[in-house]
Amino acid sequence: MHASLYRAIESVFRKEARISLRSRSSWLVVLMFALTTLSCVSLLMQGDILAPRLAASMLWIILFFSLLAGAGRGFADEEQAGTLMALQVYGSSQAVLFGKGLFMAVLLFVLSLLIVPMYLVLMDIAVASWPAFLLTLLGGTYGMAMAGTLLSALMFGAKVQSGLLSILMLPVLLPILLPAIVLTASCFAGEAVHGSYLVGIALYDAIMTLAASLLFDFLWYED
Amino acid sequence: MRSYEKGLWLLILLLTAAVVYAVFFLVPPAMGLGSLVRIAFFHIPVAWVAVLAFLVSAWYAVRYLRRPSARFDAFSAESARLGLIFVVLATLSGAVFSKLTWGSYWNWDPRQTTIFVLLLIYAAYLTLRSVIPDAHRRARVAAIYALFSFLTVPFLVFIIPRFYFSLHPAPVINGSGSIDMDPVMLKTLLASLLDMTLIYIAVLYHRVNSERGVHHET
Repeated sequence: MHASLYRAIESVFRKEARISLRSRSSWLVVLMFALTTLSCVSLLMQGDILAPRLAASMLWIILFFSLLAGAGRGFADEEQAGTLMALQVYGSSQAVLFGKGLFMAVLLFVLSLLIVPMYLVLMDIAVASWPAFLLTLLGGTYGMAMAGTLLSALMFGAKVQSGLLSILMLPVLLPILLPAIVLTASCFAGEAVHGSYLVGIALYDAIMTLAASLLFDFLWYED
Repeated sequence: MRSYEKGLWLLILLLTAAVVYAVFFLVPPAMGLGSLVRIAFFHIPVAWVAVLAFLVSAWYAVRYLRRPSARFDAFSAESARLGLIFVVLATLSGAVFSKLTWGSYWNWDPRQTTIFVLLLIYAAYLTLRSVIPDAHRRARVAAIYALFSFLTVPFLVFIIPRFYFSLHPAPVINGSGSIDMDPVMLKTLLASLLDMTLIYIAVLYHRVNSERGVHHET
């Protein structure tokens, strides 16, 4: 990668990290949403043990909707703060996309590392294969971050923003969510984990990154 | 209506009549499925056009991004609108076939999942178009979403159905690359595929060329 582009990505990444640590709103909302949903599910289950497949599906539904609250904020915050114009003048499209996308990926992965233990404790689930489980989480959260960054940029100028991101994200993320649920269920059940699903998630993440990179220029440099 | 459009509609009318006759009077009952196989001559063509409409929508999205033109956007949007209708028809006809052969309308078979995701993409695309008031921005954003969501199609159509167990009958061209079908059935299926594709093309051109197609959203 070109050195100046790398530095520009790093600058955007640092800016995102600094703002996120200062305002706390982006990740606090995600955590509180996850905590509320988790406690609701646990309360309603009253200690019943879920089948691995059901537990895995429930986990990914909770992760999808709670992380969505963070993934879609990338450009909405800039628009509200009035800093979007400055970013458009000083930042190249690729630096903005990858700086914001990679920061979001790190943030969502860290948040999922906080949400998942709570889920495992409340639902009394043991994980048989942690490496495969963590790789699944990494692949899933990275895909959500990249798709969320591009799609949140798409939503400028939309009359309605709330709810729209989940409508746009779900079809795009299903090729990740479906294998992620199968892999997570295998990790919960202690069955053999099929590496081909992990390869599929990684491949889809890579294609999505490439497509986001190609398409983002058309959004960033408007006529 | 121009003369070539009239000719096209006449051809469609004749072809549709021939296909309907062949489906109900010439096609023999299939082994294991009996007369239920006749649903396939409607279901397969509408499913094919649902995917074709998505391809056309994505193709015109590329053309719009390379050279913005209201006509390219109209083709992309109208193709998606038609695609939504065809995907709903494919879902419903598939669900009826599923109920009659497997006993339930819906069981998240991989092929049902695929068609359902296609339905979600079409619905998301049209929802996105409806919430952006500015015509130029709407066209650009919709084109980008059409292409981005287009990524899922190869995964859903070709990869996921091969990973999961499916009750769905094998595709017309099976895994070994050969066609294992009665010759009358095959000819009727090809004719119905052509018929449905021509209907899609005729309606698409009619809608784009009419005032609704070009000025509907400006």
